Amino acid sequence: MSAAGTVVDVLVSGLAKASLYAMMALGLTLIFGLLGVLNFAHGSLTMLGAYAAGLLMVTFAGSGFGALVWFLVAGLTAGVLVGGLGAAMEVALIRKLYDRPPIYQILLTFGITLVIDELARIVVLFYGMQPQTDWQAALGTKPSFIADTFAVLGGTVSHLELFEILWGVLTVVAVWAFLNRTRYGLVVRAGSEDDEMAAALGIDVRRVFTVVFALGAGLAGFAGALLMWDPAWAASVPLASETLLPAFVVVIVGGLGSFRGTVVAAVIVGMVDALMTYLFDHAIITFSGLPELTVFLILVGVLVVRPQGIFGLAEVGGH
Amino acid sequence: MAISTDAVDAQQGVDTTERWIRQYAHDHVAHLLVVAFLGAYPLVYSVLTAIGAGGVFEAFLPKIETMTAVFYFGLFAMSFDFISGYTGYLSFGHAVFYGAGGYFVILVANGKVPLLPPETPFMVSVLLAGVLAALVALAIGSVSFRLSGVYFAMITLGFAQVAYVFMRDWEFLGSNPRDGVAVSNELHPNAFEIGIPGVDALNLAVGPLRGDAVEWLFLDLGATEVSYYMIGLVVLVCYLAMQRMVHSPFGRVLVAIRENEERARAVGYDTYRYKMAAFAVSGFFAGVAGGLFAAFRRSVSPDNSLYFLVTGDALLASIIGGFGTLAGPLYGRLFDRGVREFLSKTGGGGGLLPLLREYVPPSVLDTGIVNGMTVGQSIETFLNGHASLYLGIVFVVFVLYVPGGLLGSLRDRLGGPVAKRLPAYLRNLRK
Repeated sequence: MSAAGTVVDVLVSGLAKASLYAMMALGLTLIFGLLGVLNFAHGSLTMLGAYAAGLLMVTFAGSGFGALVWFLVAGLTAGVLVGGLGAAMEVALIRKLYDRPPIYQILLTFGITLVIDELARIVVLFYGMQPQTDWQAALGTKPSFIADTFAVLGGTVSHLELFEILWGVLTVVAVWAFLNRTRYGLVVRAGSEDDEMAAALGIDVRRVFTVVFALGAGLAGFAGALLMWDPAWAASVPLASETLLPAFVVVIVGGLGSFRGTVVAAVIVGMVDALMTYLFDHAIITFSGLPELTVFLILVGVLVVRPQGIFGLAEVGGH
Repeated sequence: MAISTDAVDAQQGVDTTERWIRQYAHDHVAHLLVVAFLGAYPLVYSVLTAIGAGGVFEAFLPKIETMTAVFYFGLFAMSFDFISGYTGYLSFGHAVFYGAGGYFVILVANGKVPLLPPETPFMVSVLLAGVLAALVALAIGSVSFRLSGVYFAMITLGFAQVAYVFMRDWEFLGSNPRDGVAVSNELHPNAFEIGIPGVDALNLAVGPLRGDAVEWLFLDLGATEVSYYMIGLVVLVCYLAMQRMVHSPFGRVLVAIRENEERARAVGYDTYRYKMAAFAVSGFFAGVAGGLFAAFRRSVSPDNSLYFLVTGDALLASIIGGFGTLAGPLYGRLFDRGVREFLSKTGGGGGLLPLLREYVPPSVLDTGIVNGMTVGQSIETFLNGHASLYLGIVFVVFVLYVPGGLLGSLRDRLGGPVAKRLPAYLRNLRK
């Protein structure tokens, strides 16, 4: 294979991975930025989104281009459903803990994860499917041309990768526009900066908290819809922890609560992941866990060298 | 005249050793009661299940094998609580120490560790496993304790996941490292022995299949019971050691760090060194727990020892039992395993399933509720094998409303640690 082909291969698959990582992590960073809650249930919400979107696709979607339209509908519906669940979670449970040490929020959301995962397992089993394995029927709703590949400069690029990049970029732009170009986004940013000051200026911060939690959860559900179509992830109950850990890595590497940092970190992690996958696939390094190992090494490395993350504020990390 | 009671005793010729033992027994009456109860448990269990009473006892009492698992995992949960509950630093990667201990013991038995032959006594290898885990803790801690709060939890999680991925895919371990490694029956045919190394008579082998059976006086203990006692003994010794540390000036400093680290530093304590020491101790006992776990099961896999959800199990046990109470996690784990066994899918160790089959007539089970779903089906769907759901709900309720956990709430009610309050309480009763 030509050198240019290699570059194309790694670059495109890196960007596709980066899109997925960004989508998994955006909601997490949004919630932490405003509420200061590290949401351990984020992966479970992503998993619910994958199942919800998969269910809609399996039930309604046809084939060909119609499926793409349905996919948009399914993704948005999954986002809204999971977002609603997030709002309910915030109002009923998380709100009670804002004045306790941050560890308690980790504990609570971890407990919510246990409950959601087991409920999902019950429902999935009830419909006669295996919770541990990927949901093939949902994967099968992908139109066949999405899986096609074509050659660019000697490298191969799949339509799925381009599709994922497109979705990732659109989501990032949409969230950016919400935060920077709308009045409510301004309120959210003000709340992240100093929630007491925002409250003093007459903003109902409690409601903003609920809205942002719903938005973050909705983004998780939306991300789940996209993962449901990717054979490397696909809908299954373990998807919850499989997505939670990389999302943590991206969010922390970028700097907890920093939108810009999360996007940059997603690109870094996605690129490194793609490069390591390439090295392993071409037997240059024969350790099969290499990509995953590197992702966690990035986390450890960044926390050692720059605990607050790439774009985080210094006083947030360490003491 | 201010003469200490000891001096008076010495003058009067009273044996001070005996007095010391009495004082010690008095201080530890709560521990003695628990140990006596657990010591009698296998006997009680066999008697009660022999009586039968229609399988009620069998349904509600945990099996001896389950109790053994509660012991070694309880030790791991206690070690997790030792660092997380007492210093307030959430060690979310604690599974790495458990896994290090487990893998070390198995690899030594398989002759894969340089300098240590496969026939190294288990007591030596488990001790070395603890030391190894303590060294790993020092290495991880030296970097991680520069951070606090969420960041500390995340960096320890990161380290543990690196170890998890590495051990999952490292081909040196065996042909299929993803499924874990088991003890080679050729290199190490005998079960692991707990006791005093070198003295054959003072060793007993553990394990449900290859363990020793003992006949002594009227007692007839099978391999399961022997494993229960021997592993319980090691866990007891470890618990007492940790309990001693928690109630020493060292333990006080740990609590001070949890309550207000800046003040502890301002008072003059080098908190970094205290945290490191606590982390090493915690790692040591987690490693020992992992070693016991591996020895009992003769195998260890990345998913049951190194994965972050293993730490999650310890967290669950700690929160339910009592975060920041040393013995609490053991009770929390007992609760966890008890519920899981009660709602098990197979009904292997008693539990709800055989009980329902026995007592609920088929006509009730076949009654439809909604959409033709029968009572029996709904029990099958929502209860059996789904203990995690109910444990998760209990966990959430405890985090929100019972932050002290079982033992912590009891402690609040008694006005101090149970082990300290109980002697005084009993003395009042006698008066």
